[in-house]
Amino acid sequence: MVDVLETPTPLERPEANEETQGKKIRKTFSNGLLLVFGLLFFAPMIWLVFASLDSQATWAVEWPHFTLSNFHTVMSGTDLQALVNSLILAIVSTAIATTSGMLAAYSLSRRRIPFKGPLLLFVLFTSGVPLTILIVPLYQLFATYGLLSIIPTAIFLAVTSLPFEIYLIKNFIDAVPEDLEEAARLERASTFQVLTRVIGPLALPGIAAAAIFGFVNAWGSFIVPLILISPSSQQPAPVAIYGFIGAANVRYGDIAAYSLIFCVPVFILYALSARLFREGFVLGGAVKG
Amino acid sequence: MASSSVHDAIIDPSAVDLWKTRKDRARFQWSSLAMLSPAFALLIILFLIPVGYAVYLGFTNLTLVGPTAVHWFYTGTQNLQRLGSDTEFRSSLELTAFFVIGSIVGVLIVGYGLASLLLRATPWVRVLVGGVVVIAWMMPAITAGMTWYASTTAQGTFATLIGLSNSDFLGSYPLLIVTIANIWSQTGFAMLVIGAALRNIPSEILEAADVENASKFQRFRLVVLPMLRPTMTAVVLLVALLSLANFSLIYVMTQGGPGNATNILPLYSYQQAFEFNNLAYGALIGNVMVIIAAVFGVLYVRVATKRSK
Repeated sequence: MVDVLETPTPLERPEANEETQGKKIRKTFSNGLLLVFGLLFFAPMIWLVFASLDSQATWAVEWPHFTLSNFHTVMSGTDLQALVNSLILAIVSTAIATTSGMLAAYSLSRRRIPFKGPLLLFVLFTSGVPLTILIVPLYQLFATYGLLSIIPTAIFLAVTSLPFEIYLIKNFIDAVPEDLEEAARLERASTFQVLTRVIGPLALPGIAAAAIFGFVNAWGSFIVPLILISPSSQQPAPVAIYGFIGAANVRYGDIAAYSLIFCVPVFILYALSARLFREGFVLGGAVKG
Repeated sequence: MASSSVHDAIIDPSAVDLWKTRKDRARFQWSSLAMLSPAFALLIILFLIPVGYAVYLGFTNLTLVGPTAVHWFYTGTQNLQRLGSDTEFRSSLELTAFFVIGSIVGVLIVGYGLASLLLRATPWVRVLVGGVVVIAWMMPAITAGMTWYASTTAQGTFATLIGLSNSDFLGSYPLLIVTIANIWSQTGFAMLVIGAALRNIPSEILEAADVENASKFQRFRLVVLPMLRPTMTAVVLLVALLSLANFSLIYVMTQGGPGNATNILPLYSYQQAFEFNNLAYGALIGNVMVIIAAVFGVLYVRVATKRSK
């Protein structure tokens, strides 16, 4: 995915002898324009970085009075607990969505299923429904059965990323040659073995990408836990960040530091998934003529 | 990616002629059903039923607190009538239209511009600028909202950069600023996808256009744009759906204010349900959002199927 940042392109490739003055000027111009864009995109992030390192931070952007104490402050007590809650929420949700998503994807990809077309359309439909509308009925449902807590919320978050995960994994399983599966069947492999020993490893980039999607989705969710989790000790980091802003005594440096820490896992996972996609499939040699 | 899977779903040969018993095809196995059931049970219990329930709740008098929190009942079209005469709802619709359409236009233009400029850029510029834009896209909504709040309020980064450090852009042009913030946070995705599509245009086709003496603009309009159309429609659909459902970014930046200046449908629905305690009316506003999302979906499928003919 991030290939766009690296690979040279057909549009670019200049004829060897035609490196004219005009082309050079154009290139300088587009580089300059890009840097302006880059600066504009970077500008909002400046506050985040400066304030996190500033012992006297405010909403204003100014050169920091350098300190690391903001990071120390937020990595303890209830703030740390909120990060742990986020982790629980994201891991439980990812595990449920990816496991059930993979089983469904395999079945939809390889098996003969009545009404497969409508089923896939239903999955597509669910991925397009605005989540906000589910909040009221789920609040009602969870409140009735006393489920306003972290694990039921994690299960619901799993469902919100499930449709896309099914599609993503199905696309990858579709690309695994059936011959490999048949070979395993001839060796009397059970369906479970086919899934864990053949399909699993070969569709791993897709499964990992789906898991990363699910994790990031649950990790960043704000309104869902805000409403569906009632005990404040179970609230995840985004709700904690929001709480910082509303506090009587706003600690700007802490907000910035905490937000940066909160971003780190997401950045790492995205970088990993970009790499997974680039390596892609090395299946070429697996099936011989 | 999304566009091709829509197609696979609609035109899937194995879904047709189901009941003819053909011996040369795989038979239905009960274990398939077992593998499907966890995912579909979850989707039905926590997605389909709540959506149906939300539709029903929209026609009741359920509240968050008070007597009708327990003893609520079906009230027919009462909420609909209220919706029809609710000026706040009408203005919320207009705000939503501005926000969604503004975001689509902005993301497409900036995303395409960046993608095509990046193709020609020197490597270090490409990595630096591309990296910053992608980081903006990856940033969780709550953090993005906060950084934009901090940088557009009085004394914020933008005010300081321009030299008018006391001007409060967010307070003066709230809708415009939240739309720009939304464009900022979604452009990275569009840039990556459009960039990949641009690189897939065979250079022979572009050279052929040059041989035919096509002008720059003709080459763009008659060659590049048609080839980008599938990607562009997919980007439009995604940006439309994500913007329509965008809650966190605006909630953190303005909470729908000042006044009701940024109170787009998801925020208005939340406000009615959980701040004014009017769960049923909030659900009804949510239903309006589902209808709008469905319209986008149908339009998308239309455009996508037309293309394949």
